[in-house]
Amino acid sequence: MICSNCQREIPDQPDPQQESCGACGGGCRKVHCPYCGYANPVVPGFLQRFARGGSNKEK
Amino acid sequence: MSNVVESEAGQRKVVLVGNPNVGKSVLFNALTGSYSVVSNYPGTSVEVLRGDATIAGQSYKVLDTPGMYSLLPITEEERVGRTILLTEAAEVVVHVLDARNIERMLPMTLQLIEAGLPVILAVNILDEAERLGMTIDIPLLSKRLGIPVVGAAFARKRGYDELCAAIAGYTGPAGRAFAYAADLEQDMARIAASMRGSYSLDRRALALLLLQKDEELTAQVATAEGAGFTAIETALREVIFDRRSDLHLTISMERRRLCRSLLDGVVVQSAGQGTSIADRLSDFSLNLWTGIPLLLLILYFVLYVFVGQFGAGTMVDFFEGYLFEEWINPFVIHLGNDYLPWHWLRELIVGEYGVFTLGVRYAVALIMPIVGTFFLAFSVLEDSGYFPRLALLVDRVFKRFGMSGRAVIPIVLGLGCDTMATMVTRTLETVRERIIATILLALAIPCSAQLGVIMGLLSEVPGALAVWTGVIVLIFIVIGLLSARLMPGEKPVFYMEVPPLRMPQLRNVLVKTLSRMHWYFFEIFPLFIIASVLLWAGKMTGGLKALVSLMEPTMHMLGLPNEAAAVFVFGFFRRDFGAAGLYDMQTSGMLSPIQLTVAAVTLTLFVPCVAQFLMMKKERGWSVSLSIFVFVTLTAFGVGALLNKLLIVTGFGL
Repeated sequence: MICSNCQREIPDQPDPQQESCGACGGGCRKVHCPYCGYANPVVPGFLQRFARGGSNKEK
Repeated sequence: MSNVVESEAGQRKVVLVGNPNVGKSVLFNALTGSYSVVSNYPGTSVEVLRGDATIAGQSYKVLDTPGMYSLLPITEEERVGRTILLTEAAEVVVHVLDARNIERMLPMTLQLIEAGLPVILAVNILDEAERLGMTIDIPLLSKRLGIPVVGAAFARKRGYDELCAAIAGYTGPAGRAFAYAADLEQDMARIAASMRGSYSLDRRALALLLLQKDEELTAQVATAEGAGFTAIETALREVIFDRRSDLHLTISMERRRLCRSLLDGVVVQSAGQGTSIADRLSDFSLNLWTGIPLLLLILYFVLYVFVGQFGAGTMVDFFEGYLFEEWINPFVIHLGNDYLPWHWLRELIVGEYGVFTLGVRYAVALIMPIVGTFFLAFSVLEDSGYFPRLALLVDRVFKRFGMSGRAVIPIVLGLGCDTMATMVTRTLETVRERIIATILLALAIPCSAQLGVIMGLLSEVPGALAVWTGVIVLIFIVIGLLSARLMPGEKPVFYMEVPPLRMPQLRNVLVKTLSRMHWYFFEIFPLFIIASVLLWAGKMTGGLKALVSLMEPTMHMLGLPNEAAAVFVFGFFRRDFGAAGLYDMQTSGMLSPIQLTVAAVTLTLFVPCVAQFLMMKKERGWSVSLSIFVFVTLTAFGVGALLNKLLIVTGFGL
């Protein structure tokens, strides 16, 4: 996933320490960019195939 | 530190490093052919590719590392990438970068060279850079960096032979050091001089990483130094205390300055080529004199025209005024009256505060069109890369409020949802900055649905929108300035890499908009239903009437009808629920232009909704969140009462 703000790549399987933020139990449907802190929306299952079609391809 | 983790006896190693999506894997495949081994790096879930290559008759083991942006790791992938660099004793490290983003990616080359690693730089995707009008003087860059540099387009087999020749003929690191600012050099020298152990990293580079509080390396140095680590620890503590600023930011800015001077004359952008419009627009958005008018234009067209007039006007008129009022509601109410035998049940489903007539109608007919248009516009701006530019643009202004440009992220996100934005304040550098941002989010940043409804309602009353905007902006400025003056604390430093400005891509915009809509519906729909059930219970038990009576003096002070108290109660459940209540009051003709303006201002400033308050409590603790709650409530009603008096006396054309 590419961060919508800083455009850096957020790893698909985030570090377990980053799965929830602080004391938060999660469930906010956001992926927080480890580099800039931006809250990116989690792409729901039904949109993932469509979203993958637009992912960057290796040059 | 151990130098070799895995024994691949006697075999020379080539390690490929670089940002994600710069062409490392294409190069890896070209070097190793089709056969490679993918395995998790020991103790992690990060995959590392290993393969064999023969270059100029010599056999090499090639490692493709996970994408990394810096030697100072943030993600597990970057930690693994760095561990490979430090422990695999590579014969050659090939840093692959994207020629189009050379200025953003070159700081990592500097880090690798400073670390004393055997670096060859591969400037990849050169064909596309040239198509965009960029010319890169590869020999000059090589001379300035003191390492072999190869221009390449690996996907088109360009530069492959040159890279192989550079690997085969590599003679070892040149030991080049780049000069940082004098005080930073002094600090590095002091830390490096305290080290006695043997390290695979250059001591100067190690000192830089220790100054940036690299925990993993600090632990390794502590083990290597033993009792001698106390001296290093003391020196580090003294330097960090003396500087009183985030050294990571200082070092990043210094490295950026070095890269700019290294690239001066190396990269030439010809005029009139494809990127020039984007570049010019990017420069406009960053310059204070052109950036502010551009921001105002964006606010006008995005918030006022698209979200306010189209979303809250045209779309809501269709969904609420036509679909629900003329077709769906009469049908459902008719069904309820015919088939629901008990009064309480009819009230619960299709009554004044019914689950359907209030909860579903508000969520679907009023809020959905507004948040939908807002999220669409937001996704277009986001995908274009405008937000980092906005952060840099307002950095100077935000500093006066005790915050940095980094606070743009929670403030902008607050326009979507203040609760989530309150959580994001934790990414701000100082405690003071976090508290100021939390206050401003609670007080003067309306969420998208609230903003859309208010814009839609006020744009129909001449002058009302100007008064509302003036008051909210004034409160934002006054409270920001006061908070910065009254609250002691460190001044934040802000630095951010600006990604390229680009044309928003339809697929990205659609995915982001629909993902946000999906999230919003999952969150708000149940809350709207719960809120309508609570209001129904309040109506049936008389609790709501008592609460409204209790608020009568306040409503009187604001010059509002008593029924407006219910809107403020709604607003405490959710901001957008309150805005929808205001919409109902206005469309029923219960408010005069002055009352509408006062209600809109007070409701915008009014206490954050329950979810935001709970998030404030989680992030800032009871005492700070309760203080903010009391302060915001008093400010909202105080400003509302003053505005009411002012508008009655002056009229302001309302």
